[in-house]
Amino acid sequence: MVELRAVRHRYAGRVVLDFDQFALPQAAAVAVVGHNGSGKSTLLRLLALLERPTEGSVLWNGTVVPRRPAASLRRRVTLVEQRPVLLRGTVRDNLVYGLEIRGFGRSAVNGIIGDVVDRLGLGPLLGRRRHELSEGEIQRVAVARALALRTDVLLLDEPASSADTAAAGALYRALAAERAARPFAVCIVSHQLEDAYRWADDIRALADGRLSPVTPENLFRVELPAGDGVKTVRIGSIEIVVMTERTGPAVVAIPPTDIFVSRERLASSARNVFKGRVVGLAIERHGAGVHVRAEMGGVELVAAVTAEAARDLALAPGGSVVFSFKATAVRVF
Amino acid sequence: MDFLAEGVRRAWGLLIAGDSEVFGIALLTLKVAVVATVIACTVGLPLGYFLATRRFWGRRAALTVVNTALAFPTVVVGLLLYGMLSRRGPLGGLGWLYTWQAIVVGDVLLALPIAAALSAAAVQGVDPRVRRTAETLGAGPWRTAWTVAREARFALAAVITAAFGQVVAEVGAAMIVGGNIRGSTRTLTTAVALYTSQGDFGTALALGLVLVILALVINIALQVLQGRGNG
Repeated sequence: MVELRAVRHRYAGRVVLDFDQFALPQAAAVAVVGHNGSGKSTLLRLLALLERPTEGSVLWNGTVVPRRPAASLRRRVTLVEQRPVLLRGTVRDNLVYGLEIRGFGRSAVNGIIGDVVDRLGLGPLLGRRRHELSEGEIQRVAVARALALRTDVLLLDEPASSADTAAAGALYRALAAERAARPFAVCIVSHQLEDAYRWADDIRALADGRLSPVTPENLFRVELPAGDGVKTVRIGSIEIVVMTERTGPAVVAIPPTDIFVSRERLASSARNVFKGRVVGLAIERHGAGVHVRAEMGGVELVAAVTAEAARDLALAPGGSVVFSFKATAVRVF
Repeated sequence: MDFLAEGVRRAWGLLIAGDSEVFGIALLTLKVAVVATVIACTVGLPLGYFLATRRFWGRRAALTVVNTALAFPTVVVGLLLYGMLSRRGPLGGLGWLYTWQAIVVGDVLLALPIAAALSAAAVQGVDPRVRRTAETLGAGPWRTAWTVAREARFALAAVITAAFGQVVAEVGAAMIVGGNIRGSTRTLTTAVALYTSQGDFGTALALGLVLVILALVINIALQVLQGRGNG
C-alpha cells in the first residue's frame, strides 16, 4: 500500500531515519516499537505524506508519490499524533471536519459519526470543547476523528498513552471491530512491546532511526484452554507449556533472551525443550549478541546468545540445536 | 494655559455643531484608512502565513526584509512614492499625485510590512500540530490556512488593529503625496499639523479628538468581533 524506500531523513542536519525499506501492505496491521526518540513519530509523518524524506522515496501502490501529493491521495491516509490536538469547536465539529472536506452529505456524516461515537463511547462528550476534556478523552476523540474518515491507511502514534487500561482496551476493541467491518492498513507505533504483541500481524523495531535487522520474534496467536495454571498450547506441530490464568484467544511470546541454547538435550527444570535445525544466525548491530533462528517441527523460534556462546557451540546453519525455556518464561497477552 | 482651555471649548463647539469641514476630513481619513488597511491585510496576512509556514530558499532574507520595513520612516516612503507618482516618475501616467489614492498607496506600503511581519509571528505562535492535523484530516492549503488562522484569531485581530493604527495615524507620506489639499486630500493628521502651525489650536484639537474617537471605535469594534469568535 504505502512504502518508504532508501530513506534517509534529516532534521537540522541530524539523521533521524535511515533504512532501506519499510512497507505497510494493504490491510496489514503493523506495529513499530522503539524507545522515545528512535524516530517512530517521524516515520509516521513520512507515511502520512505530511513530510517528504530528505533522501529516498515514498511509494503508494508501487507508484512514487510526487513532491506535492494530490489531495485525493493525501485523503487516503490519516495520522493520529501521540499528543493529538483538537481543532477549535466542539468534539462533534472535530468529527465532522474531515468528512465535510470529503464532501459527505449531512445524513452520511450523521451516520458515520454515530458509528464511531458508539464504538468509542463518546456520546457524552459530543458537545464539549477541547479545554473541557482530559488528555485521555482528547486522544479518544482524535482516534474517532481519524476512524470516521475511513481511510485506506490509519497511522496511530501511541494511541493509548494517555488512556487507562479500560480505555486502552476499548480503543483496541474499536479498532478491531472497525477492521473486521472494513479492511484497512493500520500502523501503530508504541514503546510498549506488549501493546504491539496484542494486535499486530507484524512488528518492526526502530532504534536510532534504523529498523532493527532482528525484529521481535516468537509471537504466536493461540487458543488457551480453560483451567488454571499450567496449560499446553499447540503451535504448528509443537506443544508449548505455559503458565497462565487466561483462557481463550491470546498471543504468547517467548523472549529470545529467555531461551537456553545447547547442542544436546540437558536435564533441567525447563518444561519446553525442542530439538531442531539452525536456519540462520544474525549478528546484532553492535556485534555483542547473535540471534539464532531455528526450525522446531515447522515452527521458527529465535534465541539470543552471546557471540562467544555461539562460537563455543559451533552453531551454523543446518546444524542441530536444542532450545529450552521454562513455562514461566512464556508471556501471554 | 488659557489657550488650552479655549482649544478644548472650541473643539467641543465644532464637534457638537457638526462642523462640515471637520466631518469631511474625518470621513476622508476613515475612507483612506479602511481601504488601505483592507488592501494591506488582504496581501499581508497571506504573505505572513506563507513566510511562517513554507520553507524555501531566501525565506530568512524575506523575513529580514519585512521586519526591516517595519521601521521604515514614513517620510522616506512618501518621498519615494512622490518620485514614482510625479509626472516624470514611472507611475506618473496614473495621475494619482495629490489624490486620496496616492495616500492609500503610501499607507499600504507602510501597513503591509506590519501585516506581514506580525501575522507571520502570529502564525508561528500557533501549535504546529494544528496545521499537521488539518492536513492529515484532508484539508487543502486554503482550508488548512483558514484552520490555522482561526487558532490565531486574537493575534491576527491585533495585527489588523496595528495596521489600522499605523494607517490612521500616518502623517509624513500623506502630507508628501496627498499635498494636504482642502476638501480633497486633507486627512485628520495632516490637518492637525496644518492648523497647529497656523495657530488654530482649537480646530487642531477638535480634529485630534476625532482621530482618537475613530481609533477607539475601531478598536472596540474589533474587540467585539473577537469576543463573538471566542471558544
